[in-house]
Amino acid sequence: MIEVQHLTKRYGPFTAVTDLSFRVERGEILGFLGPNGAGKTTTMRIITGYMPATEGKAIVAGYDVFEQPIEAKQRTGYLPETPPLYPDMSVKDYLTFVSKIKGVPSSERTSRINTVMERTRIADMANRLCSRLSKGYKQRVGLAQALIHNPEVLILDEPTAGLDPKQIIETRQLIRELAGDHTIVLSTHILPEVSQTCQRVVIINKGRVVAEDTPDNLTARLRGSETMYVQIDATGADAHTALTRIPGVTRVVESDRRNSTIGFEVESEQGRDIRRDLANTIVSSGWGLLELRPMRMSLEEIFLSLTTEEAEQAATAEEAVHA
Amino acid sequence: MRNILAIAQKEIRSYFVSPIAYIVIGMFALLYGWFYSVMLQFFVRQGINMSMMGGQQVLNINQDMLRPVLQNVTVLLLFVLPALTMRTYSEERRSGTIELLLTSPVSDFQIIMGKFIGALTLYAVMLSVTFIHVGLLFVYSNPEWKPIATSYLGLLLLGGSFLSIGLFISTLTTNQIVAYISTFSVFLFLWVINWIGSFSSGWIADLTGYLSVIDHFDDFSKGVIDTTHLIYYLSLITFGLFLTMKSVDTERWRG
Repeated sequence: MIEVQHLTKRYGPFTAVTDLSFRVERGEILGFLGPNGAGKTTTMRIITGYMPATEGKAIVAGYDVFEQPIEAKQRTGYLPETPPLYPDMSVKDYLTFVSKIKGVPSSERTSRINTVMERTRIADMANRLCSRLSKGYKQRVGLAQALIHNPEVLILDEPTAGLDPKQIIETRQLIRELAGDHTIVLSTHILPEVSQTCQRVVIINKGRVVAEDTPDNLTARLRGSETMYVQIDATGADAHTALTRIPGVTRVVESDRRNSTIGFEVESEQGRDIRRDLANTIVSSGWGLLELRPMRMSLEEIFLSLTTEEAEQAATAEEAVHA
Repeated sequence: MRNILAIAQKEIRSYFVSPIAYIVIGMFALLYGWFYSVMLQFFVRQGINMSMMGGQQVLNINQDMLRPVLQNVTVLLLFVLPALTMRTYSEERRSGTIELLLTSPVSDFQIIMGKFIGALTLYAVMLSVTFIHVGLLFVYSNPEWKPIATSYLGLLLLGGSFLSIGLFISTLTTNQIVAYISTFSVFLFLWVINWIGSFSSGWIADLTGYLSVIDHFDDFSKGVIDTTHLIYYLSLITFGLFLTMKSVDTERWRG
């Protein structure tokens, strides 16, 4: 549905996006993840036809955004970082204007406006001026605007930024609901959002794709070894040695200690399930097993490791050049 | 066309919900009314003087009353019209709504034409205030309507030229005050350029005379529609809109 091919965007000497490529299939929600200034907004602006790319191309619903902008834009709904509202228009007037320039036929206009207002839950604010809306409502009017012409593709730039927790949950729910009929790309720097709403993640940093996969696979891929966390009720250092002796265990690190309660992080060889042995050892030693759980790398950690890894590589490369 | 009208309609709306339309039309009406009453008094006094001296020459209401008044209007435009265009693009850029326009299935040309027609409509509404004064002349006198009609055509063309240049300047800055002052300066330059010409001769005088926006208005106020002047204004409008298009396009590339 969306195809981005070797996209590069330079602003004068500054390169915002370098050779970026990815695909989004019909009906999919793609999370576009990256720290601030990674090039998320630039990429989205290129896909929506707001600005042309320096090199490469973007194809939306089969239309090249640069060659056939009108056709591509008819099929794209876009919510920019700041909702593009006219402060002196009422919500209803605003949506009427947007429906006109988005080419909604006049016979369907009223019903479309009512549908999107219902869907984004802004019907109660229909006659209020956009400038008088709260941040949450502004964001939702922005979303309504993007949906008004029932586009095949939705590009949402940080759709939950600035919302309160309840609104964030509602917005994510709405985005998931929309996924069936629309292909969605949403950018964010909030990681749990991605694991909750997206089927696939593209992580970008400094204008390059550093990883692209499903949230689960990303988590798994970056786990080099399996780590278990155990908390036991025991005294003395013999627990450490006992755990180290379990077959398959490569490393045991004491992570916390409170009175007689000790927590260990137990690393094992990849693909080997040590949970049974771990539990047996602890129980047979007469200790109390208080907690046993696998430790997963959270998306935050993945993200950090990916982005810093890149920085380290760059640093080494630089050193090599200077040496 | 539908897109152009939708944008024009939005522009007109935004003039009338903000104080701009009211201030501009109000100030214009006030100053115009003042010019009008001063000229009328002068005209009446002159008429009385002439009849007392028993002169043969008859004063012409078109030539001696309306023409100077409408020429004064052109001075007012110098101050008033930059206010109509100063926010057209700068406001869209500042509030981020430019992202909505540029990602909607409308062409740059449609956006620009919509904005131009919107500004031109407000200007026409402003000019229509003066119909009251002109109407009064028809009640108490019998002026010729044709020179009046050509004067208004001239005013529309002159104003249109100013608006298209103002539109271009508003694409260059996000600051409305900067937009106003630059637009005003450019208008003033186009206004006084023939003064340079009046001190020189030959081709410089011809060129500056041709470029001066105000010289071309003169014939319209006399009731003459000369294609030279028509072409001048229409090309100035086209040029302004063309520059606006180029500027918007450049802005896109620059991001």
